Amino acid sequence: MDVAVMSANDWIGVCLSLVAFIGMVAVYVMVFRPSNKDMFESQRGMALDDEGHINMGEKR
Amino acid sequence: MEVVRWFTIAAAIYAVVGTLIGVWIAAELAWPFLNFDISELTFGRLRPLHTNAVIFAFGGCVLMGTGFYMVQRTGATRLWSNGLAWFTFWGWNLIIVLAVITLPLGMTQGKEYAELAWPIDILIAIVWLSFGLNHIMTVAIRKTSHIYVSNWFTMGMIVMITYLHVVNSLAIPVSLTTSYSIYAGVQDAMIQWWWGHNAVGFFLTGGFLGIMYYFVPKQANRPVFSYRLSVLHFWALTFGYVWLGAHHLQYTALPDWTGSLGAAVSLAMIIPSWGGAMNGMMTLSGAWDKLRTDYILRFLVVSLAFYAMSTFEGPVMSIKTVNALSHYTDWTIGHVHSGALGWVAMVSFGAMYHMIKKLYGVEKMYSEELVNVHFWLATIGTVVYIVAMWVSGIMQGLMWRDYDEYGTLSYTFVESVSAMHPYYAMRAIGGLIFNLGAWIALYNIIMTVRQASAVRNANAVPANA
Repeated sequence: MDVAVMSANDWIGVCLSLVAFIGMVAVYVMVFRPSNKDMFESQRGMALDDEGHINMGEKR
Repeated sequence: MEVVRWFTIAAAIYAVVGTLIGVWIAAELAWPFLNFDISELTFGRLRPLHTNAVIFAFGGCVLMGTGFYMVQRTGATRLWSNGLAWFTFWGWNLIIVLAVITLPLGMTQGKEYAELAWPIDILIAIVWLSFGLNHIMTVAIRKTSHIYVSNWFTMGMIVMITYLHVVNSLAIPVSLTTSYSIYAGVQDAMIQWWWGHNAVGFFLTGGFLGIMYYFVPKQANRPVFSYRLSVLHFWALTFGYVWLGAHHLQYTALPDWTGSLGAAVSLAMIIPSWGGAMNGMMTLSGAWDKLRTDYILRFLVVSLAFYAMSTFEGPVMSIKTVNALSHYTDWTIGHVHSGALGWVAMVSFGAMYHMIKKLYGVEKMYSEELVNVHFWLATIGTVVYIVAMWVSGIMQGLMWRDYDEYGTLSYTFVESVSAMHPYYAMRAIGGLIFNLGAWIALYNIIMTVRQASAVRNANAVPANA
């Protein structure tokens, strides 16, 4: 790789690639960290708990 | 919630119309006299109408209807603005009407999946932002502490489609219906496929994954198998999908490394895609017996099987060696329809049936048996369609590249066209079977709505008296 001939667009691309890569690693660490397991998995049933949340009829 | 009802019924109508146009143009390819030498009925004019009808009319109404439905249910709140939701509904339908008028008349920008003329593009941006603003503000005023993963997928779609649509549509207008892209040459192609593949990635995948993560647990009455996996699925999709577009431009003027990067990231995307598909399917752990009796759940689970299949097939097709055979052939059409019919339409119908029952307060659809008939028509129609296109596409690719001992091509192009005829007829039949299922769904939904209205009116009479 010839760094000297890299354009501004090339550098922007490199930086975005690194940000995406680091961001993805951070997400993996956050999601698979054992101490975070309960925090995430406590939301498993959220879709099932919505029946009592809202009256689906029109506003009165 | 009235607006969600309208979006759902509109989606059922567009499913019928969009697939009917698809069947017609498929039949035109098998029997070309069917265009009757009328310009407005030719394949070139009707094909963009078909894609716009199924993706943006049917798919858009499903996404907006379910988006508004899920955000209220999981946020324990009403929509931020009911008036704005109605603006979104009528605005989106106005765009569809304008597409129906302009596309058959040949008014097009010539950009695939972004054919509509520049004034309509501006209207799309305004209406889409009205949907996005209303959804995001409803999330902001939610009464729950957590934002459910479905809403993350919907918001990811809103942000990315806004960005993609605006950048891809940048053009210099020269008249009310004509404009020229601000990009030129290979850059125009790159922008086009950056949009094209991400319309698939964020509109037809991300948005519908939001639907899957809400409606599969709801219909199965089981919590999602792994919430951590769903979070990972969302972020991996969001980070990864934007890199894939270049795999549409292998062996073109685009720099070679760009296509290689697109293919490499495509292959990497198999991991989160299959993780998500497994997550959806494993949600049924301990409840697989429900598939015997719950026809709506069948739609949702089979859609996941097609999702897994097409998200494996796509990356394989992006590999240069495979792409050399598959590109420009009907294999691509088969791949697209395994995703569009098998994944998007099936998960949509599952969600629509589920919502119709909830929205109209009924225990069952007008006919549960017709839901089952629709399921089998949709499944068989999809399989017939994609098998026809796989065989035809691979045959096309092999015929085009075959040469004899003197290095001369073995077949003329017209010979390959002639060889396709049985498969084109088979494709039209597969599409027709799928379309019949959509008619049945529409009939079943209308009858369910009528039945629910009749019960409501009957109950209201004594109360009023």
